[in-house]
Amino acid sequence: MSSIDASQNKKKSSEEISSEQKLPDKNRIALRRTLLGRVARSLIVSFWVMVIAFSLLRLAPGDPIRNALGTDATEEAVAAMKKQFGLDLPFFIQFFNYLKGIFSGNLGISFFSNRDVTEIITTHLPVTITIILLSILSAIVFSIPLALFVALSRRPVVTYFFRTATSISLAIPGFFLALLGLLYFGTVLNWAPAAGYEGAFPNNLRYIWLPALVNCFALVPILSRVLHSSLMDTLDEEYVETGVIRGVGKIRFYWSYLLRPSLAPTVVLLSYMVGVMIGGTVVMEMIFSLPGIGRELVQAVDTRDYVVVQSIVMVFGLIVVFLSFLGDLVGYLLDRRVTLS
Amino acid sequence: MKKKLKTRIDGTYAFFTGIGMLASLVVAGIIVPLVSKYDPNEVSSSQILPPSSTHFFGTDILGRDVFTRVFDATLIDLGTAFIGVLIPLSVGTVIGTLLGISRNRRINSLVGSIIDGINAFPFLIFVIALVAFLGPGLRGIIIALSLVNWARYARIARTRAVIVNQQGYVEAARTLGYSRFRILFKHIIPNVSSETRAYALSDFIIVIIAVAALSFLGLGVSPPQAEWGAMIKAGSGIITLAWWESVFAGLALCWAGIAVALIAEGLTRRLREGNQK
Repeated sequence: MSSIDASQNKKKSSEEISSEQKLPDKNRIALRRTLLGRVARSLIVSFWVMVIAFSLLRLAPGDPIRNALGTDATEEAVAAMKKQFGLDLPFFIQFFNYLKGIFSGNLGISFFSNRDVTEIITTHLPVTITIILLSILSAIVFSIPLALFVALSRRPVVTYFFRTATSISLAIPGFFLALLGLLYFGTVLNWAPAAGYEGAFPNNLRYIWLPALVNCFALVPILSRVLHSSLMDTLDEEYVETGVIRGVGKIRFYWSYLLRPSLAPTVVLLSYMVGVMIGGTVVMEMIFSLPGIGRELVQAVDTRDYVVVQSIVMVFGLIVVFLSFLGDLVGYLLDRRVTLS
Repeated sequence: MKKKLKTRIDGTYAFFTGIGMLASLVVAGIIVPLVSKYDPNEVSSSQILPPSSTHFFGTDILGRDVFTRVFDATLIDLGTAFIGVLIPLSVGTVIGTLLGISRNRRINSLVGSIIDGINAFPFLIFVIALVAFLGPGLRGIIIALSLVNWARYARIARTRAVIVNQQGYVEAARTLGYSRFRILFKHIIPNVSSETRAYALSDFIIVIIAVAALSFLGLGVSPPQAEWGAMIKAGSGIITLAWWESVFAGLALCWAGIAVALIAEGLTRRLREGNQK
């Protein structure tokens, strides 16, 4: 940790020098403009995410209310329920009401099951996020040394083996791997419980380490591959050679000379991969029977609770938009040569 | 010099291994259900028999032959994934190219932000939700995959089309007075689609896993039709008692995925060699 702090201080001082030399105002204006542009784009994309999620229910074949009430519901009952949920209003007013609900944190009540959608999401989302965070953390722990090792070994055989192994491991479906893992660790070794869950911090690790490990198995090949190729580019730079000749300390060499200049593409990719992780986590939650939002989603799909499906999809869409903004931003701060797309 | 030669051989090796694996799977998928003594959907002997010389992969919980079922599922899985890639590939490439070469900035940024909006949803989550609204089954899966994935191809195609549109040969075709239609389909789209087709290959792996995952979650084929994801699910309930159904169906899925991964890996290595020359 101290090495990172030290290098950040170092970064600050080097930045001060460079910004004094390079017209600080111009730099700052450019930064502000790219930032504002990126914020505006994220807001527009979020708008479309909400429109698409909102349209899902309206695009579904058949009348959702009639489906909810069953085939023998009277016309009056259908009309009354429509009025109760504001579904008799014009499309745009419905959408406006929906938006108002989102901003006040109220996603409405499902007219299929009468459950409070906000409550469903706030109770089940933390489990999913914990799994995803643990997956990402372990993926970072595995991929950085792996990529460094392959890049620094400089032996073609290692690189070929690495590339082939990573592309093959991407083709192995996570749910199959999870099942084998559950069979081995759960039944044979009895290290991982197949069902049940405890919410509190140290205890929940017992239930989520295996799903997180399986998730991480899909993430490590991609992350280490991208990091490896940017490390190879960095190794070609002359300043790396200068660093070796000057004999800089090991930690400083690895972090400031090799990793920091190479991390930006990986960080941007990582923020994108969270979307893929979320999909994988849904399946993990089903296999390990964890009470996450993914299991809620599949249950809602099974019971045709469309309102819940729609809201979960929208929440995940918004999370991904926010994270890709964050990833671009961090990538940009790590390496100013990266342009915010 | 020697190093370059080695890379090319290595790429070719991966490519042909992948082709061989895929071809053998397809051939087995056609032949095994034809020559097998057992009907894939009929009870052939007693329940959950372990693998033996009469039932190579054992029998499932209903007493059906797993060997026949695994290969009966091959064409269903590969075919669904193939169509599920082909439709978004074509639609996305055409829409993306049109956006890339159009000069109307308003339409461009409007459709562009819709594309970004669709791409923002986590892939599997969005497909699951769409299948819920469209109704489960292979038709629903293919429609859902098409509705979700065209946007990814469109984004790649748009970026590429902007570059291709400024190339000398397109300018030349314009100067020669060729029709817009001809320039679009003979000069621009072939060059744009080389990029989207390359992505389609790696997308195929994601899609074939997604198709199996949807069936695993119970949103895929309706029984008794054999399908790898559904078989993994069916076997998972009794996996401590009888591992064979889940494991053999899962291995077939891995086999297909690895075959395509090797083909993609071989092609990219060859392409990289070509670019370096």
